This record gives sequence, C-alpha cells and structure tokens, in this order.
Amino acid sequence: MFQLNELQHDALVELFNQGVGQAASSMSQIVREEVTMSVPLISFQSRAEVARTLGSAEARRICAVTQHYQGAFNTEAILMFPEEKSLEIVRLMVGQSVTMEELSEMEQEAMSEIGNIILNSCMSTLANISGKELHGSLPIYRIGTGDHILGSSGNQWNGLVLTLKIDFNIEKHEINGYVAFLLDMSALNELQAYLDQYLSGLTP
Amino acid sequence: MNAESDAAAGTTGAPALLDSVLHAVRVGMIVLDDSERVVLWNRWMEEHSSYPASSVLGKPFVELFPELTNGRAHGAIRGALQSKLASLISQTLNKAPFPLYARAEDRAAGVRIQQAVQVVPLDQPGKAHCLVQITDVSMAVAREKQLRELAMELQGQIFIDGLTGIPNRRRFDEHVENEFRRAKRSGSPLSLAMIDVDAFKDYNDNYGHQKGDDCLILIAAALTRILGRPCDLVARYGGEEFVALMPDTNADGAQALAEAMRHEVESLAIEHAHSGVAPHVTISLGLLTQTPSHNTVISHMIGAADRALYQAKRNGRNCVVVHGDKAPA
Repeated sequence: MFQLNELQHDALVELFNQGVGQAASSMSQIVREEVTMSVPLISFQSRAEVARTLGSAEARRICAVTQHYQGAFNTEAILMFPEEKSLEIVRLMVGQSVTMEELSEMEQEAMSEIGNIILNSCMSTLANISGKELHGSLPIYRIGTGDHILGSSGNQWNGLVLTLKIDFNIEKHEINGYVAFLLDMSALNELQAYLDQYLSGLTP
Repeated sequence: MNAESDAAAGTTGAPALLDSVLHAVRVGMIVLDDSERVVLWNRWMEEHSSYPASSVLGKPFVELFPELTNGRAHGAIRGALQSKLASLISQTLNKAPFPLYARAEDRAAGVRIQQAVQVVPLDQPGKAHCLVQITDVSMAVAREKQLRELAMELQGQIFIDGLTGIPNRRRFDEHVENEFRRAKRSGSPLSLAMIDVDAFKDYNDNYGHQKGDDCLILIAAALTRILGRPCDLVARYGGEEFVALMPDTNADGAQALAEAMRHEVESLAIEHAHSGVAPHVTISLGLLTQTPSHNTVISHMIGAADRALYQAKRNGRNCVVVHGDKAPA
C-alpha cells in the first residue's frame, strides 16, 4: 500500500492549507464576508472506503463538483458535500433563505463555481511545487451516492483516493466537506517525487 | 490529440468559414494573449459592448474593463494564462461582471445582461492564450426569480388563516416556540392571552354564518390593531378563539394591552341582540405572564391562560382575568 513518510505527509497538509486559504480569500471577496477554510486531515484510501465514509451504504446523496487535471500529474478532483450541506453553503454564499429541497439550476452553477475555486486553488499549489503545467477542465456538477460519484463499483483500478477533510466557515456556520483526488500509481509516484523536490528546496 | 489536429487542418482549409461561425455564434467570445491583450472579439461582443473589434484589438483587458482589475474574472484570466486552469464565474455569485447590455435602453438604465462566464486556457503551441466565453442567462435568472417568488408566496399562505387573513394556529405554534426559547434564554417575561368571542354561537344562530364570518374578520383586525410591535402576534386559534402573544411584556403591560383589546372590540359596536352580556359583540380574555424557567413547558402556559379565560366566562364575560388572580367573591 502506498504511503507518504511523515515529512511528505506534513508538507502536503501544509500545501493544501495554503491552497484552501487562497480559495477562502477568493470566496470572501465574492461574498464580502469572512470565509475561512482549513484542511485538518488528509488520508489515502480505496474508492470503496471513501464511498463508505460518505454514507453510500445508507444511499446518502452527495453533491459533487468534479474537474479533470492533466500535466504535472493526471487526476480527477472531486469536491463533495452531503446534499443538505451544499444547500446550506450556497444559501449562505448567496444570502437567500428560501428553502427548496434541491439546488436550482442557477444555484448548481454557483456550487460549481465554489468547487472550481477550491479545486483550482488546491491544484495550483501542487502545480507550483512541481514546476510544471497543470491543465484543468471546467467543473461538472453531479449528484448521487458516494459510490456513484467515485465510480467505485465496476471497473478495476489500481489507484488510490487522496482525501482531504475540509472545514468551511462562513457567518459562524461550520460545514464539513471532502475533496478527493483519484490518483493512479504513476500519479502517486509523481506526487511523492514533487513533495521530495519541494522538501529538498526547503532545507538550505 | 487527433481530433485537435483534424480541427486545425480544417481551419487552414476554410478560415473564412470559421470566422463567420465565430461571428454568428450567440455567445460572447474574447481571446486574450499571454500579456492579456485582446486578439479576438466576436460580433456578439461588438453588439453588446458597443465596442467594434477594431477599437479593442491589441488593448489590454484591464484597460477595456478597468472595474474588473484584480477581480474574480481577472483572476480567472491569470489562472488560465499562467497556470492553464479553467474557471467558471457564475451569475449567482457574481452579479453581471461585464458591462454588457441587451438593448440601448438597458444601457441607458444601467441594466446589464445577466452573465455566466467561462474562462478556459487554449491549447496553442507557443504563447499562452485564453478564451473568455460569456453566455446570456437573463432568461434563466428571470424564471428562477419567478419560481422563488411563487415559493415564498406559498410558504406565506401556509401560515395565514384563510378567513381572517391573520396568522393561523400553525404560525402561532412556530412563533410561540421561538419566543418561548428566547424568553428562557434572556430571562424576560412572556405574556399570553387566550381570547374568545362571547356568545358567538348565538350570534351565528341568529344572524347567519355569513354575518358570523364578517364579525370574526372585524375582530381579528381590531386585535391586530392593538398589538402592533413586530414581535407581537395575534393568531386565530380555532373557531371563535384567538390567541395573542406578547414577548418582553410584564404583567402590568399585558393587562393594559388586554384591556385595550377588549375595549377595541367593544367599540366596533357590532350589534348582538342575543348576547346576554351587552347589546353588541364582546370578548373575554384569559391572561398569563410568566418568565419561563428551565422546567416551564409551553403547553402548561397555554393551559393556564385557558383556565383564566374560563374564569373570565364565569365572571360574566366581556372582561380580562389574569391567571392566579382570585375569583371575585
């Protein structure tokens, strides 16, 4: 099983915190209110494990924003919130309080933008340390169980999911979500190499 | 990769065709080079910005749109040019960033097109370029606004009594719960009045249900006139019974308000020859004031106010009885 050593792990947490910090300040600018975000923990898991954490067994509905990245390394990046939390986030960001059960078309687009900001910020910190280009696609909004979104049932795949737990704070509300990066073995090795490169640059 | 090289081969064969497609498309398209200068500006942009392409080509983005400098769209453009990241700028979170107008009168009135913007890096050899696409989403926004207003209206109707137009029992149950919790936390007194129309059955039997309905409408309006503060609430509790909730109101204040309500209904002077109390319609009120503590229960407060109302009926009606007061000898 793939594992990062302690230094690599800490560096990655640090980088992701920089990334979501940038995302939070972009979002604060949009809503003209304080938004803060942090990544308290990251882990490497199989798709089935992540789906289980997301309540796939109970058929819990997840709202997801996905983007594809290629270049420095290839990955499918997914921001995920339980459906009711995504309603809360969008409404806090937009400042509307009419409670319909699902996100409207325009609200889905707003959710896609929120995902786009968070995923791009995380990926650009990784692109920076790699010193390589990282092409990102436009975000796609999806809704379904964790299984459905991660595509864990069916096809064989030898990769791992790098999951970040995200604490999102706006207007005294704390909302937890996840960002998942689907990484195959070569992407995992590339990521590890970039981290080593970054760490060696830190030591004089 | 193959698809791209095929497309490129296609363009060299028919640049004029590609050009006319760019100009026919009903989406705004701007292409910027690596120094953020405009290299393409399609017809849709010309029409909605009122700048002809000839006047903007070669100009830097921030010179054309100074108000967008370092804003979200500008950041997205930098992200596309420097890091090759694509961005979505939604109408919901960014109200019409570009000064684009559907018609001359909209421009004069300052009403911009509602926009969804996508910024994508272009896969070009050599210098980095990015494409800014602007879609008019005004129709979708208008449709959602309509839906939202409808939903609001429906939500409002759920809490309104159909006959009298004042809040209903359901609204009261929700409001009393909130105010009760608030009073508990802040340690402030909460007053509650149960109100019943005296001899209403006799009124209905003698004047008919139509008149009975009119009478309830007038009374509901009279009670609402007295309780005017935003946190106060008068609701129809059922039949000819009303309830009044007065937060942050002590016993003296509540009694004064209850008397004022009784008086207001009396002065409507609705004829009632069969009342047995007065020649006109009157009400009785049972009043309770309490500062809720940890073990106070709402239903007990309502029950206590109800018992006071019952006492008011026994005391001869058209009066206010405060819970805990002794019955007159």
